[in-house]
Amino acid sequence: MTVLLAVLVVGLGSLFLRLAPLLSTGRMPEKLTQAAGWAGLAVVAGISVRSVLLFQDRSVAGAPVLAAVSVAIGLVLAFRGRSVLVAVAVGGATYQVISAALAALT
Amino acid sequence: MYADLDTAIDGAVDRHETRPALSAGARAMLPILAAYAPLGLLVGAHVASSDNPVAAWLSTWLIYGGAAQLAVLDVLAHGSGWVAAAIVGLLVNMRLAAFATAMHPEWRSAPVRLRVAAALMLTDAPWVVARNRTHGQREERRRYYLGAAISLFVLWPLMVSVGVLVGGRLEAAPVTSLLLPLTLGAVIVPQLRQRPAAVAMVAASCTAALTMHLSAGSALALAGLAGALGGLVTERVP
Repeated sequence: MTVLLAVLVVGLGSLFLRLAPLLSTGRMPEKLTQAAGWAGLAVVAGISVRSVLLFQDRSVAGAPVLAAVSVAIGLVLAFRGRSVLVAVAVGGATYQVISAALAALT
Repeated sequence: MYADLDTAIDGAVDRHETRPALSAGARAMLPILAAYAPLGLLVGAHVASSDNPVAAWLSTWLIYGGAAQLAVLDVLAHGSGWVAAAIVGLLVNMRLAAFATAMHPEWRSAPVRLRVAAALMLTDAPWVVARNRTHGQREERRRYYLGAAISLFVLWPLMVSVGVLVGGRLEAAPVTSLLLPLTLGAVIVPQLRQRPAAVAMVAASCTAALTMHLSAGSALALAGLAGALGGLVTERVP
């Protein structure tokens, strides 16, 4: 029941957040829509950064640093025009290889 | 008057072939869908381990956002209750209002049924994919967004459902936690070429680092605010 209640509240709330701006027929101020665009990008960036900083791997010392390096390598590739899939594969593989090497050394 | 003008422009564009834009949007999502697959399996694993797997599985459609769905299920798994879970989930999904507001100028003149469809399928990846496409007419860009959004809307629940069955094996691999930042980061990183977007993302990243001890919802709301201010201020500077 607890799970269902939480899901229903978040689901209906999310539906309202999605629908209300798009169903509004009036002209919104340009500054508002621009600011919303920057805020949207900022939140996506924030989710990514937060996920890396809170990353945990008990088998490796300094896991968040290694995670940050691996993600940075993937993102540099994406910035230079590689596909999302390549960026994700290289970033993930970098983490796996370095963490395995570190585990073997210690 | 503006609405009439928009409708007239859209009608003219409609006469041209715009169907390729729909498939182009779906094609643009393909690598992202492949990168999302392990994330979908991970969310599925969280769904399977929930106290109420059926309700958690339904949240794939009802909440429709991996980050919020994971946040809600995590809070519930820690026994914090439905109110705390709902607050965190809504705060994480507040970004949807920002996405929808940013889409408003382009969608204002679209038929209501299309706006409802666009809203129902709105989440991070299709929004950023559509935002990365700066060329083309308004109708073409809308179809491009719909192509991207439909492909994720169809395949994401499938990935989560498969994850319910087999995702438990993935949970043991810590690297799966990096798939979300890698995928989302790779989608938005081309936007760094625009100065206001770069400032917005750097401001948000710094804010996220400084607020990492806060709950996800509060921290992301602050990151969004910092990014919006950073972007707006940078636009004013010549």
